[in-house]
This record gives sequence, structure tokens and C-alpha cells, in this order.
Amino acid sequence: MQDVIRQAVTAVSTVVLGKEEQIRLAVSCLLARGHLLIEDLPGMGKTTLAHALARVFSLDYRRVQFTSDMLPADILGVSIFNPQTREFEPKDGPVFTQLLLADEINRATPKTQGALLEAMEERQVTLDGVTRALPEPFFVLATQNPVTQAGTFPLPESQLDRFLMRLSLGYPSAEMELKLLSGSDRRSQAVNLAPVVSREQLMAAQQAVDDIRASRDLIDYIQRLLAHSRSAGIFVAGLSPRAGLGLLRAARAWALTGGRDYVIPEDVQVVLGPVVEHRLQALSGGAVATATQKLLEAVPVVRRQ
Amino acid sequence: MARVYQVPQHAFIWLMTGAVMASLPHFLTGPAWLPLFVITTQVWRILVQRGRLRMPAKITRAVVLVGAVAGTLYTYGTLLGPEAGIVLLVCTFNLKLLEMFKLRDAYVAIVLCYFVIATALLSRQDLLISLYVFAVLGVITAALIGINQPEANIRARQQLKYSLVLVLQAMPLMIFLFFVVPRVPPLWDLPIQKKGAKTGMSDSMAPGEVSSLSRSAALAFRVDFKGEPPPPEERYWRGLTYSWFDGTRWSQAVPNDLPQAEYMAYPGERNRDWYREVQRQQVGKKYNYQIILEPTRRRWLFALVTPFTEQRGIAFARDSRLINADPVRDVLAYRVESFTEMPRGENIPDWEKAFNLRLPEEGNGRTRSLAQRWRTEAGSDEAFIRKALSWFREEEFYYSLEPPLLTGQQIDDFLFRTRTGFCEHYASSFAFMLRSVGIPARIVAGYQGGELNPLGTHLLVRQYDAHAWVEAWLPGKGWQEFDPTAMVAPERVRLGLAAALEAQNDESFATFNDLVGISGLPLLKDFMSALDYAEFQWLKLVVDYDTDAQKGVLQKLLGDVSPMRIALLIGAGLGVVAAAMGLLLFWQSRSVPLNWWEKEYWALYKGLQKKGIPVSDDLGPLALARLATAHSATSQPAAKAWLRLYNDAAYRTAYQDKTTSGVALSSEDRRNRLKLRKFRKEMLRLI
Repeated sequence: MQDVIRQAVTAVSTVVLGKEEQIRLAVSCLLARGHLLIEDLPGMGKTTLAHALARVFSLDYRRVQFTSDMLPADILGVSIFNPQTREFEPKDGPVFTQLLLADEINRATPKTQGALLEAMEERQVTLDGVTRALPEPFFVLATQNPVTQAGTFPLPESQLDRFLMRLSLGYPSAEMELKLLSGSDRRSQAVNLAPVVSREQLMAAQQAVDDIRASRDLIDYIQRLLAHSRSAGIFVAGLSPRAGLGLLRAARAWALTGGRDYVIPEDVQVVLGPVVEHRLQALSGGAVATATQKLLEAVPVVRRQ
Repeated sequence: MARVYQVPQHAFIWLMTGAVMASLPHFLTGPAWLPLFVITTQVWRILVQRGRLRMPAKITRAVVLVGAVAGTLYTYGTLLGPEAGIVLLVCTFNLKLLEMFKLRDAYVAIVLCYFVIATALLSRQDLLISLYVFAVLGVITAALIGINQPEANIRARQQLKYSLVLVLQAMPLMIFLFFVVPRVPPLWDLPIQKKGAKTGMSDSMAPGEVSSLSRSAALAFRVDFKGEPPPPEERYWRGLTYSWFDGTRWSQAVPNDLPQAEYMAYPGERNRDWYREVQRQQVGKKYNYQIILEPTRRRWLFALVTPFTEQRGIAFARDSRLINADPVRDVLAYRVESFTEMPRGENIPDWEKAFNLRLPEEGNGRTRSLAQRWRTEAGSDEAFIRKALSWFREEEFYYSLEPPLLTGQQIDDFLFRTRTGFCEHYASSFAFMLRSVGIPARIVAGYQGGELNPLGTHLLVRQYDAHAWVEAWLPGKGWQEFDPTAMVAPERVRLGLAAALEAQNDESFATFNDLVGISGLPLLKDFMSALDYAEFQWLKLVVDYDTDAQKGVLQKLLGDVSPMRIALLIGAGLGVVAAAMGLLLFWQSRSVPLNWWEKEYWALYKGLQKKGIPVSDDLGPLALARLATAHSATSQPAAKAWLRLYNDAAYRTAYQDKTTSGVALSSEDRRNRLKLRKFRKEMLRLI
């Protein structure tokens, strides 16, 4: 199981160069049954990553480009009148897929954003009173432009909370960029990737995440992190219990990608930033990443008497 | 009508239990219809709670209330006074249970319940009732906690647990306040009938009266000796003297025209000549003891000769007795210092001499003439007394609890016909003989003996230890004690009544044993004596702690007792109790102690720090091990082994598998701890 996952990570890395950690985090997010938000400028390889993940994990893949004139029906689907049968027939929207790339989600109006996030949370869609389950597995990889850009509708905190992780790919290193430029088109490479993980294997891996052991000491560590985020006075509001559960889940998945069947504090430390940063606001107005770093430094890994 | 407040089930159980328990002690003192009343209302209330009945209508409640008032009036003839008041209180409290429409009513009922149980202490203050009151307090508090938790699905037992914890927590505060808070004397006197004041000495004695007293095993008083108690034959507890004889009955009396100052001296008025004389002549062995007297409703107190006390309100009487200023209604404790010999009065005042020589003009002629003949033969008073006592010893006299009835000239009849009697017969006839030859004599009534509690140092004196003996005044020697009963039945004085009756083969021995229950099970006897010891300590420590004792304690603590200082002391005491509670809570909230592997982590942490490697506590064990390897590649195997062991202990287990503290280490754990320590030392050595 762990070998398959490691192979999958390696396979994706041949397409998205020099981003092993982000790829591993993205895979962890997928294994943890969470949704992923990638915040990056255009052209950083988000779509390539989505393509590659879909291929390697043998998932159906669809992409929706969000715009400001988009309506919920454009994502969820509509009922269309069929003159032959004289009946309304449901026509599924792009959400009925296994991996949905929601590109530039913050360009759509809150109403449309809401429709997608609703579907993400419930893993089902209700059209004209008929409720239909979304395919299994269902993984949303949303991208968003940094909110400082004009013409965007920033997602409110409650909706950001629906994403297990937020990542940023960032510019490649000089070495990787050279390799990138000298190679062939990444997008077509991604499409040509061979599937590594079958759908059944993915489901089994998702199941395995639940069985990764988290000891009392480790859960105690997570709890102390949560408690400190609430009492330390570095954030506007502390972490919610849902964030705590997400953190543990992500740490389990990360431990699985590392080939371990138990969680160690380092797993928590790695996933802490991606899991909590989009849920927090630094009190002093500084960067939330710095504040999270402070949180990490302030809480001893092992209890102190 | 508004919705009726439904007492939560978990509170209801405790409320009803508390109500029954609070009413129970009053069943013993109250009228016979009270239990019926209480049970009826309680059953009704339970049926209401179950939804089988409705709360009684206003008119029904009014009728029942009028009934309760009428019943009380019928029983006591009045609604005033504590007994009637308590019965009314118990009735109305139980009625209140049937008038619970709002949450507020439940609160009222609970507060009333506290009040009802407090009134149980008005008539008794012994250890058992006090423990009972504590138990009831726990139950009522459980009900109070219960109605403050309206949620369903709460287990009633939990409430009782909370409540007991609360009551226990309040205990130190209660003890402190008990000792320190000034007691305001009651604004009115509560003349409550105390139990246990039924039997005892009376101010006169006729044949048959002491022996009837001896059929009771009720406690008369307890004595706590500082040091060794005197031997049984010296334990003569004097209570009162009878100087007046009318031919049948001996009575206590003083001459009409005598001022009180001539025969009684309270502390503070002890500059009288006769008292100084007594005080000057303290001779004999000294005994220091405390007597805890059960209520007698009489003023005389019991003590050995010659008793001295400095306790306020206790007078010294001229016949070497102690007399309380008021009738003893509650348990009374007093400390006495006794000297074993009577004061050697050189002179006897004329009034006293005349008083103790007086006899009826005629009657009992045979005794008179016998005594007068002996006196002439003997030649001196002392010789006469010896002669008379040896006569009692040598002639066929019998000691019995059930002497035959005397007829006609009672003393003649006894001395020459029946010759079977109890102590009062012997004392009475001996005193008569003395008086008839001109020796001043009087009868002393009190108790003789007492049984040492095997657990404590204290002596138990019971009603069946009642005794009467004689004192005669001899020139140059003063008053001397003589016990004719001891001549007839020496066992009575040395071993007690039961032994004496047995030795005399008296028929009444069996009846006496049945009555007193001496031949009971030994285990039960042990238990009873243990209980008595606890009771004794309780009386000494708690019940006896009155305003005077408190003043003593405060004086010892504060020196000068001023309201300001008392206030400061109370404040300080409350502060100390609150601080102790705070400390306890802090101690409980303290985090769980570290596990062995956690201690190991910090040991490595400090070890690396000592080597000058910058470490911070956000580094996990993995990061620490890496840090060590980064500084010295040779330590890698040790670091790897250390990390593996650490992870096994700390992280490789599911959450529930390991308890963190309070459990003894398994041998595997102990081995791993040693290995972990070894690898750490190796790792640090290689850096």
C-alpha cells in the first residue's frame, strides 16, 4: 500500500518538477478525504498537478473555470425538457466527477461558490427535489488567485473551513526551471501518465488512514496546539474542533505517505501550516504563516512538568 | 392553571428520603398520630409524582392544616412552647410537600427540611443523633443539588456523592466556626423535656426506694480521672445528705431560720469562715477528675469527699457536697479536685448538732434500748460504733434487692424480725441507733462504685450503683463515714451490686440480671462499651463546649478577648480554610506526572543543551535524534535505536492502550526504560 502511494507521488513528481512536498501534501489531502485549495498565481502548474493526480489515481477529471457571471446550475447541472418523452430530464453538471478542478474559485459570486462548497461538504447534489450522491471518491482541487487581485470575491472563513488544506506551489527553483524549460510540454506529459493507483487501491488507502495509530502523547500534543492557538493571543480566533480533527486526519494521512502506521509529532508539524493557515487570521495583522510558526515554537512537543 | 413544577426524579428521591428522615426523630417525642400524618402526606406526594393523584385542592389542604392544629392542641393543650411548635412544624412541612406548584416551593420545602432536622437537636445532643443529623444534611443537600439540575437522565446516586463531598468540604469550616464564633445566649429559655431524666436520687428516702432505683441500668454520670482512679471500695459518690427523720422517711433539710451563707458558698463568696476552715484542712490523697452528669432536673451534684471546684455556678455546701445553681437539665460537666478525708471539724455548730440528733419522740423502742445498753457497756462513742458494726457483720443479716415488707415499728421490725434489707435499711437503722445514743448522724445518698470502661480511662456510674450510707460526727475527728451495708455484704462495695447479690444467693439476682442485661453477649458488651467511649468523648469535646469553655479557648488563642480580635481570628480562620481548599483544588488540577519516556526526552534535551547544541522544545524526538546525528555521525546507530524505542513507547500505540500514570510499570517497560537510558548516554558520549 505504502509503496503504491510512494510510486504515485514519484510519478506526479516527474511532471510537476521540484514540488515533492506539495505533491505529497496534495496526495495526503486526497487520502484524508479532504478537499484542497491551491492559492497561486496563474501558470504555476496547478492544472498540470490536477491532471497528473487524476491520471495517476485513475480518476475521472473535469475542470470548471469560474467566472463572475457563473450560476450554480453551471456546476451542479439543470433539468432539461425532453419534447419526445415530454418530461424533464436531469442533465448533470461538471460536479459529477471524481476529481474536480475548480479554477479561480474566487472569481465567482458567493452564490455559485456556495453551491459548490455545499456539494463538497454533503457529497451529494439536490436537483429539483431529487438528491443524487456524487461519485466516490470525490475530490475538489480548487485554485484561487491571491485575494489582493482585482475582481475577486474572497471566500468567507466558514467556507474556507471546508477545505482540509491550502497549499501554494510557488515558483520553481532555478535548476528545476531549467529542466522544465528544456523538457517537452508538461500538460501533454500529464495526460500521458500511466495510472499507478487503482480506484480500489485509493479507497483502501483512504480506509487505511483511519487505522493509522495516534497515541495519547500525540493527541495530547495536538490538543495543546489547539489550546495554545486559543489562549496565546496571536490569532483573532483560535482553532475550532473541526480544525483539530482535520489536523489529526491530515497528520495520519501524511504518516501513511511516509510509510508509517503511526503518527509522530513531526507529521503534525508538517501538516499544521497547510491545515490551519487558511482558517486563522493573525491578530497583529502580520502574515498568518509567521503566526503559525510562532504557535509551533511556543508549544513543546513533549509535555513539560 | 399554570403548569405544575415537576420535581426532577433524581431530586425527588432525595427530597422524600430527606423528609422522612427529618421527621423520624420527632416520632419518638411527638404524639402517636404524627407518624400517621407524615406517612399519609408522603404517600400522597409519591402518588402525585407518579401521576396517579393530583395535588390536593386548596380546601383540602386547609382542612388538613386545621386538623393538624387541632391535633396539636388536643395533645399538648397549647400551640405555644417548643414541643407543640415542633409538631406543628413537622406537620406543616409535610403539607408543604403537597403544595409544590413552582420551583420556588421546592426550595421552600428543602429549606424547611433543614430546619426540621435542626429541631431534632433541641431534645437530644448525643453522638448518635448528631451523626444522624449529618446523614440527613447530606440527603437534603443532594435534593438541593438535584433541583438545580433540571436535565433528565441524571443518576440520583451522583447527587448524593456531590452532596457528601460538599458537606465534607464544609466540615473544616464548621469545626472552626463551632470553636470560635461567639455564642449569643438564648433570648428565651426553652423548657424542653429532656429524655433520660426519669430516674435518680430524690430529696428524701424511705425503705424500698433505693432498691427500686437499682433496677435501672440507666447512666447516672461518667467520670474521667486525671491519673489513676481510686479503688472500688473508695468510690463513694456523695450526692446529698438526709438529716430529717420522721420515723419512716429520711429527708434533706436545713433549719428554717438559717441564712444561705451559713451552708452554701459559690465561687466568689468563699471568704466565709466555715469555708476557709474546710479549705485549710485539705488532707488525704488528691484526686482530679471531671464528671459528666446526665440530666437529673435536680440541683445536687455528685463527687467524692471533699470536693472543690472553681466552676462558676457550683456552690460548696457545708456537708461537703456540690450544688448547682440551677436544676441540671442538660448534660453537665464539671471538674473537681477531691481530698479523700473529710474536714476535721473541731466544733460543730449547735444548730447542726441539734439537727443531726433529732428523732421522733417515740417508736422503735427495742432499738433505742439496745443501743443505749451497748453505749453504756462500750464506754465511748468509737467503741459503741465498733460494737454496732460488728453486730451487723456477725448476726444473721441478709442483703437483698427484694426485702420483705416492714410493718409497724419499721426499724425494730427490720432489726429484730426480717433482717433482710437493702442499703437504705441498714443505713437508716444504723443512723437511728447513733442518734438514739446522742451521736450526731446523717444519711448520705449517692452512688457507690462504678464500672471502668475498658477502652477509656473513664468510669461509668449507673443507677443500679445507687447507695446510702451513714456519716457520724465524732468530737475531734469531725464527720466520719460508716457503711453498715459493707458489713453485711462486703462484695457490694468491692465488686458491685451484681456480685453482692450473687454472693448472698439472693433470689432477686436473676431478676436483676435480666433487667440490667449484664449476662448479655460479650461481643455486644464490647460494642456497647466502644459506643459509650465514643459517646463520652463526644460529650466531653462537643456538648460540654459551652460559652465558658469557649472563652477559655479564645483567651488562650488571643490573650485579650475583644470583638476586634475575635473578628480578626474568624477572618484569619476563614482565610486559612479557603486557602487550604484552594490548595487542594490546585493539587487536583495539577497535570499528570511525566511518563518515563517523557522524562527521557527531557534528559536528552538537557544533555544536548549541555553539549552546547542549540535545542528548542518544538523539536520532536525525531528532530532531536537527527540533531545529534548531525553533530556526530558516529552517534547515528545509538540515535536510531533511541528513536525507535521512544517511538514504540510514545507513539506506536493507539490512544487507549497506555495509561499515563498511577499504574505500575510492566517488566517490559522497565527493560525498555533502561535501554532507552543506555542509548541516550551512548549518543551523548559520542557527541
